[in-house]
Amino acid sequence: MTSLSIELTIGILKIFSFVVPVLVSVALLVYLERKVLGAVQLRKGPNVVGPFGILQSFADVLKLLTKENLLPSSSNKFLFIFAPMLTLILSLIAWAVIPISSTYVIANINIGILYLFAVSSFGVYGVIIAGWASNSKYPFLGALRSAAQMISYEVSIGFVIITVLICVGSLNLIDIVESQKNMWFAIPLLPMFVIFIISALAETNRLPFDLPEDEATLVAGFFTEYSSISFGLFFLAEYANMILMSSLTVILFLGGWYPPIDIFPLNAIPGIFWFVIKVFLILFVFLWVRATFPRYRYDQLMRLGWKIFLPFTLVWVVITSAFLFYFGLLPN
Amino acid sequence: MFLVGSFFLFAAFLITTCIFVIFSKNPVNSVLFLVLAFLNSTFLFILIGAEFVGIILAIVYIGAVAILFLFVVMMLDIQITTLMFNIKRYIPLALLFAGIILAEIIYLTVFKTSKDNLDTFIRSKNNTEQIGDVLYTEYFIDFQLSGIVLLLAMIGAIVLTHVYRPTIKRQNIESQNSTTAEDRVKLVKIKSGEGIKDD
Repeated sequence: MTSLSIELTIGILKIFSFVVPVLVSVALLVYLERKVLGAVQLRKGPNVVGPFGILQSFADVLKLLTKENLLPSSSNKFLFIFAPMLTLILSLIAWAVIPISSTYVIANINIGILYLFAVSSFGVYGVIIAGWASNSKYPFLGALRSAAQMISYEVSIGFVIITVLICVGSLNLIDIVESQKNMWFAIPLLPMFVIFIISALAETNRLPFDLPEDEATLVAGFFTEYSSISFGLFFLAEYANMILMSSLTVILFLGGWYPPIDIFPLNAIPGIFWFVIKVFLILFVFLWVRATFPRYRYDQLMRLGWKIFLPFTLVWVVITSAFLFYFGLLPN
Repeated sequence: MFLVGSFFLFAAFLITTCIFVIFSKNPVNSVLFLVLAFLNSTFLFILIGAEFVGIILAIVYIGAVAILFLFVVMMLDIQITTLMFNIKRYIPLALLFAGIILAEIIYLTVFKTSKDNLDTFIRSKNNTEQIGDVLYTEYFIDFQLSGIVLLLAMIGAIVLTHVYRPTIKRQNIESQNSTTAEDRVKLVKIKSGEGIKDD
C-alpha cells in the first residue's frame, strides 16, 4: 500500500470512530428522552424491548426500515429524497472538527468554530427543501416557519460565539477549550451561556421552539409527507444535531475535556469521560425543558430572537471587549 | 499535483453549476444550483489557503443570502414558459457585466502581476489574524464606509416597502404582560330575578 492509501484508511477509520458512537448515542438519546419524559409525567416509559427497554429505539428503527417509502405523486422526486439525506449528512460532517480530547479529533483546523457555524447554518436547507419538494400545504408552511426561525436565532448564536472568541483570541476549537483550563467561560459569561442554550433549542427545532413541526397547527410540519426511512433520517438528524449543539456548548462554555477542579482524583480521569458527562448534562437540560415548558407562539419566538436576544448579545459583545481592553486582558 | 487536480475539478463544477443556474427551467432549481456554485467557490478559496474568506463566503452567501433568495422564489407562482422567454431580454445587460468583469480579470492578471506578493501574504501565517491586522487599521475607513453603504441599503429597502396603515391593530406586549386578573375578570353577585346591570 502506498502512503496515500494508508492515510486514507486511517482517515476512514477515524471517521467511523466518530460516526458510529454518534449514531449509537442518538438511539440511546431517544430512549433517554422517552424515559425522562415518562419519569416527569409519572409513567414508566419504554420497558419491554431488552433490559429496561433499552433496545426500544433499535426496534423502532427496524420498524421504520420495513415500512414502505411513499413518494407524493406531485412532489419533486429528486429533492424529496435528497432533503433528508442532506440533513443527516450536515449533522454528521460537523463532527469532523469537534475535539473530544486534546488529541482525539479528526481535523484540527484553524477556523474550526467558523466551520461549525457554517455547517449549522446550512442545516436549514434540508428543512426548506423538504417542505418545498413535498408540494403540500402543511410541509410548506412548516418549512417557511423553520427557515425564518433558524436564521433569526443564528444571529444571536453568532454574537455569543464572538463574545467567546474575544476572550480566547483564536478560532481553533482546541485553543478555545485550552483557554478555559482555569475557569470555564460559563462563569464569567453566564448570560451568554444561557442565551446560547436557548438559541440552541431554537436552532435544533426542539421544544419549546418546535414550531416547524407543531402538531396542533401543522400536522407534523416539514416532514408531514415523509414515511419510512426518509422520516427516520430526519429523526436521526434532529437528535444528532442536539448532541452536536450540546458538544458545542460544552466546548464553548463548559471547558471541554477539563475536570471541574484541577485536583488529583479528578484530573486522573481521562478527558473523554468529562466531555461525555458534560454533553450528557446539557442533553438532559434539553429533555427537561421539553417536559417543563409549553410551546411558544410564533410571534413570541420572533420577538424573543430579534427584540431581546439580538440587542442583549450585541451590547454584551461591546461590554466584554471594553472590559477586556480596559484591564489589558485581551489575548495576544 | 493533487492541488492542481482539485482546482480544475472544483473550477469545472463551478462553471457547470453556473450554467445550470441560468438554464434551469425551475427557479427553485436555479437557486439550489447557485448554492452549489457558492460552495464550489468556497472550496476554491480554501484551496489557495484563504480558509477564512472561504468560510465567511459560505456563511454569508449560503447560510443567509441564498436562503432568502430561496424563501422568495419558493413563494412565487411562476409560469415556466414565460420565464424562459424573458431571459432573452436580459442578455445585453448580462453581456455588458460579463465584459466588465472579463476586462478586470485581464487587467489584473496581465498588467498587474502581484501574484507572488498575494501568495506569500496568504501562506505566511494564519490568514484570519492577517485580515484582522489590516482590516481595522489600514482599511478602517473603507470598512466603515461599506458598513454605511449596507445600512443605507437596508433603510432604503424598508422605506420603499413600508406602507403606513393607520387602521392596523398592533399587539402591546407590555400592557398584555402587566394585566392582572382584576382588569379582565369581574365577579358579580346576581340577585335572582334581577339579572346583570351592564355598566
